Amino acid sequence: MNKAGLSIALVMLGLVGCSNHPAPEEQLRLSEQALDQAKAVGASAEADELALAQDKLQQARIAFDRGKYRKARMLAEQAELDARLAEAKVLTQKRQKQLSELEQQVESLRKQLGAL
Amino acid sequence: MKQWQLNSIALLALTLLAGCSTSSSPRQALAEAKADFDAVSKLPAIQQSAEQNLHQADESLTRAERLSHYWGNGREVVHYSYLSSRYSAIAREQGAQSLAGERISGLERERARLELALHESQQLGGEPKGEWLEMQLASLASSEAGRGLVVTLGDVLFDTGRADLKPAATRSLLQVASFLRVNENRAVRIEGYSDNQGDAQQNLELSRARAQSVSAMLVDLGISPQRIQVKGYGDAHPIAENASARGRALNRRVEIVVSDEKGVLGEER
Repeated sequence: MNKAGLSIALVMLGLVGCSNHPAPEEQLRLSEQALDQAKAVGASAEADELALAQDKLQQARIAFDRGKYRKARMLAEQAELDARLAEAKVLTQKRQKQLSELEQQVESLRKQLGAL
Repeated sequence: MKQWQLNSIALLALTLLAGCSTSSSPRQALAEAKADFDAVSKLPAIQQSAEQNLHQADESLTRAERLSHYWGNGREVVHYSYLSSRYSAIAREQGAQSLAGERISGLERERARLELALHESQQLGGEPKGEWLEMQLASLASSEAGRGLVVTLGDVLFDTGRADLKPAATRSLLQVASFLRVNENRAVRIEGYSDNQGDAQQNLELSRARAQSVSAMLVDLGISPQRIQVKGYGDAHPIAENASARGRALNRRVEIVVSDEKGVLGEER
């Protein structure tokens, strides 16, 4: 029966959909690296993105251990970008801080010169 | 197997597939990712500084869009939309960093100039008397018929082909500024000149940009912009022949024309 065939095909698809994916070892490694890098530039756990990254990486490892490779890969990919965004935000903040310090210094130098 | 059994197994498969999708709707996630990408790719500073991440945002978005055309990919659509939004956000941060970086290097140069100016003016021992300053300025300036007092800043005081002033220009400009502070009625016209090599329009622009840098420095040193005029003349009015390298170097210059005591400047050329 055609309908039955279709149903069976759907069952197979549904089952295959969540398994049969290569183990995302490399991606887990990349995500860990991104997380370390973000911490190294001074991203703290208070940053939302870093907390997200840590949480997702942990979930990814659990999924990995249970053989749920597709889920593990997705979580790890998201964790990597969360960590990279956390890092980028810290770097932007540092630049902005440097900029406002410089502006103050230049302003103060101008005043000193103007007073002479 | 009976039909209803097969159907319930199919239903179970659907549930399994649905189990793969997340709470956020794929359509919504995709629309957000698209909006993020459109917003960030419009920012002018982004293109160069964040090329890589912008490209990846685009790629993930295309992937999410393609997957959204097929049934049962909800989870992937949400995933790649998420990645795309993240890439866009990273690109936006990089753009902000590069803008701040440019401002920082500009301010660092300015700080160096101001520090030097401050140092030099402290060495001069406060604000000297007007007469003495006039002598000082006269030693820098030449008196040209019909133009009044003219202070010439040579090519060596600028970075090659650029409008940025070197710190060595500070001493001359500091004296001009001190002179102008004491002689409150006097004004200046800052005139940029180039040699005749290369594109005439570019020469004109560079000569004007250099004059503008000198003006900015005088303003930094506390002179009101209202007392300063800026002109670019390009390769017009050479003071030496353009045939030799030495002649051309002499022609690349900025002249500061000082007005008389009533603030009247000589005619423009």
